[in-house]
Order: sequence, then C-alpha cells, then structure tokens
Amino acid sequence: MTWFACELHTHTLHSDGRQTLGELAAGAAGLGFDVIALTDHNTMSGLVGKEEIEQEHGLTIIPGMEWTTFYGHMVTIGLSEFADWRQAGLDDIDQGIAEVHRLGGIAGLAHPFRIGSPACTGCFWEYKIDDWNAVDYIEVWSGTFPSIQTNNRRAFDLWTDKLNEGYRIAATSGRDWHEQKETDEPISVTYLEIDEETADGKKAGGSRTDSGSKETPAGNGSCAAEKARDTESEKNAADGFAASVSLEDRLIQALREGRASVTIGPLLTMKLNAGGESYRIGSVVPAAGQAEEHSGTTAAANELISVDLLLDFSVRAGLWSLPEQTFKLKLQSNLGEELSLDVPVPVSAEAEESASDHGGHIKTETQNQAQQMRLEAKLPHPTDKLSRKWLRAELWGHMRGVYVRIAFTNAIYFEYEEGATSR
Amino acid sequence: MKLLDTEGCVTPEESRTHIRIPFELGENCERLNLRFQYAPKKLENRERAIALLKESYDLYILPEHREYAAEHTDRHLPLNNLITVSLDDARGYRGACHRHDPLQELFLSRQEASPGLMAGELTAGSWSVTLSLHCIVTEICDYRLQIWASEKEESA
Repeated sequence: MTWFACELHTHTLHSDGRQTLGELAAGAAGLGFDVIALTDHNTMSGLVGKEEIEQEHGLTIIPGMEWTTFYGHMVTIGLSEFADWRQAGLDDIDQGIAEVHRLGGIAGLAHPFRIGSPACTGCFWEYKIDDWNAVDYIEVWSGTFPSIQTNNRRAFDLWTDKLNEGYRIAATSGRDWHEQKETDEPISVTYLEIDEETADGKKAGGSRTDSGSKETPAGNGSCAAEKARDTESEKNAADGFAASVSLEDRLIQALREGRASVTIGPLLTMKLNAGGESYRIGSVVPAAGQAEEHSGTTAAANELISVDLLLDFSVRAGLWSLPEQTFKLKLQSNLGEELSLDVPVPVSAEAEESASDHGGHIKTETQNQAQQMRLEAKLPHPTDKLSRKWLRAELWGHMRGVYVRIAFTNAIYFEYEEGATSR
Repeated sequence: MKLLDTEGCVTPEESRTHIRIPFELGENCERLNLRFQYAPKKLENRERAIALLKESYDLYILPEHREYAAEHTDRHLPLNNLITVSLDDARGYRGACHRHDPLQELFLSRQEASPGLMAGELTAGSWSVTLSLHCIVTEICDYRLQIWASEKEESA
C-alpha cells in the first residue's frame, strides 16, 4: 500500500487566493505533498494548464470547488463538471450533495465551526443535513497547527458524534491555503491510501510513503469493500479497462472509503486482525469476522482482536520536527478510550515488550534507525451489552509546548446489531 | 456595443439572496466586458459593527468563549459588504469571481478570461449575471453593473 501526502483545500487568484496554480503547486511540492486538490470558491476556471503544472512539479492536482454559499462552505472534489451552488437553501444541501455525487465527485463539510457572517460570510455550517450517510467527509482540521484550535475541536467532536451514531464518514485536514507565505506553524497532511498495484505510473520518484506492504498477504482481499473492488478490477482488467482508471479517481475512491490518516508529524496507520482476516483503515469488519460470532467455544469467545499500529517518522523528512518525549498512542472507539500506550521516542534499537495498564498487549519494534515504529495491541471483545461500531488510533504529545493530538487515523468500522447499545 | 447598464441599492435584509440580471448577447461578439462596482465596502460605524459581531458570536461561538471573543472584536473588524458576481451563458455556468474587490473589471473571450471566468465561445442568446449578496452590513449599499460587447479585441 502506498500513502499519498495530500493538501485538500487550496485557492488561487481565480477566487480570493493570492497565488497562481503554478505558485501553489511549487509551494506544495516544496512541502512534500504528492497531491493537492484545487478548491477555489465557486469556480473551476483555475484548472487551466493543470497538466503542464502537474508535470513540472511532479504533483497530482485533483479538480474541485468550494461551494461558498450563504449557509456553509462545502468542499467538493473529483468532479470534472460544475455543480450549481446557488440554489441551496437551508434545507436543500442534500440535493446539492446528490448532484456532486452524480457528477462523480465527493463532498465534505469545510471548517464547519469557523465563525460565520458577518466576520466570515457563510463560513459556519448551518445547513440541515437530512441524510448524513451522503456526507463523504468532514474537514475536522482547518488551517495551520489545527489541533489547538477550538473550532477544529468542535469539528472533530462532530465527526466522533456521527461515528457514534453509526455513520461512516471520513475526516480530513485542509489548510484553506490562500497564499505562499512562510509559516513556522505545523502543517497538517491528509494521507490517502492507494493500492500499490493501482498506483502505477506514479511508482517511481516522489516522496510517497510505502508502509506495511510486506505484511499484506498477497491476494488476500479482506474487507468487503476490498473484495467488491477486487472483483470489479478483475472485471475491468478483463475489459482492458483497469489501466484507464486515473490516480485522481483512485485518490477520490480512497477518501470516499475513508482510507485516510491525518497528521502534523509522523504518519500513523493501523491494521486490525480478527477472525483470521486483516482489515485496513476504512474497511468494515463483518459481524462474522468478529470472534464473538464464532463457534461459541470459550476459546473463540475470548479471542482478542489485535491491532497492528505503525508510526512512520520518515515521512516528509526534514519538513517537521517533534521534541523527544513519550507520546501517547490511543485507541478510541464508541466505547471510549480503549487503550493508551506510552511510546517513548526515540526508543532503544531492540524490541521492547511491556504490558499496558488497560490489559492490552504492546510489542514495540523499531526499524530503519527508528524511522518506523511498529506496535501491536490487543483489544478485548466488547461485552454482550455494548458493541463496537468503529475504532481509530490517535497519537498525542507535546508540540510547541502544548499537549495536542498530533495524528489520527480514520476509522475501521464494525458491523453491529441495530438494537445493541452504544455510548 | 452597450448591452446593459443597471444600478441598484440593497440593504442588510437582502443579505443571503441572489439578484439575477439577464441580458441578451448578439452574434459576432469577440469579447464580453463587465464592470461591477459597489459601495460602501466597509461599515465605518464601529459601535454598530461590534453590535453585529456580538449577535453573531451568540450563534457561532460556544458560551464559554463568548466573553473572550467580545473582548477581541478587533480581529474581525472592519466588517465588509460582500457581493460576488457569477455568470451564465445560454448553455450553463461561465464561472464566478469570489473576491472582495468592490470594483471588478472583467472580460471573457474565446481564448482568455478574467480569473474566475471561463474562456470559450461567446454564443449568442440569453446570458445572465448573478449578484450574490453574501453579506450587507451597511444601511444601504449601491451597486452598478455595466456590460458591453466588442466585435473585435479592444481595450475596454
């Protein structure tokens, strides 16, 4: 698997930005991004000359547009055609999202808790959403050093609330980048995961991050979505069609399926093992894959779910830094904080083993001069009364003298019975 | 050739509405020119501005942070009117100019266009300008929209 460093919210002088697409692309490439989405306010005219600029800077540019309306800003990416933002009244955004989907794009709430009019017109999300299933993502981190901002904390909490309600929504960061201005504030990156075999043509060069591919059992498509897609791509290959699916479309598909991880430092990823299968971020663990549904023997019922966590400190080398410290790596779900592990960085070269206070099991392994740190955690099965709906990993630590969330993964989801209680 | 010269006056009650202004474009237009301006831009009355901000803080800021916000209104001042222009031809959208300039001189032709607008055929037929009144904070705000067509490339 390959993770692409993306900046998903940008502007040029085609709206109110103070930069050309070329200047934006040069700045993004300099900051180690592989991909940007151009999301000018209410226009897509800034995409003229995109191919030349992509080639010049070795960058992929996803077409997009920020619906800059009276009742909220909505980032839309992956569409080639314009969807009309002007008709949306307070109760009509569902039709707007449907139109974006019809044109092949995906839609996300931009900075939903930024102050609205008159300070920032339409910036606060006021639309009533009838069907949250239709929302593809929420920009939970907006701006530079996003994790310290109250607005972003509210957006993050909104995302968590929706996950708790059972919706499967992705979460991203977006700088809302308007100009090339030096900043010493930490910059957030949304990493999107593309299958290696589908990332052809972009394999050589670039700073994309390869992680965990050695462990992926070849051909063992594990989650439902993956299986569906494998079948699809086999079909497409048979039609001689697979090669025509662009990297752009694959990135959109990755975000649509929630294969995303967000960070202002190291790249944090996870894989979950249950019922003999492996599940990646964004996938759904079927009820049958959860051990409690197994044969009913005591052994099976007590079988733990294991989570492989990987912290990759080598991403965007030299473009960010963190002081030496003991980080907290947390596993969070609708059941609350399920596990909290101490992660000292740097660690000694040999593997460490320790038991966490929550009864989870942690095995730390560092590789490549501590550039990557692998941890294994065991999670208990939820009780009969409470079912797990989703699980994400978070990295917490000190940055610029503040204790903040440094990185978080998108969720792995669990099929659950509708009647089951959740928090 | 002059196609349109219209003026209007809007008030805060018209915030969050669009004004659609249709016009007919004839044959053989090589370059379409638009000039849009509105005034005033800023709300100069500081007391009024702070009152408006405090109202908005009640909507958008958590109760525990409102006091801090009310003491730091300067970060949101001055308050501005914002009207943006978007353009449609007979077949569909031709872009928008979402920016704060209160005077915008725009053009489009087959080859080129002002940032935000889309170059391409200037097909004869029914076109329209949409003025989007994102926010009007002054008691009144006057605007003027002028549109003219050139049969050959010219300096407006």
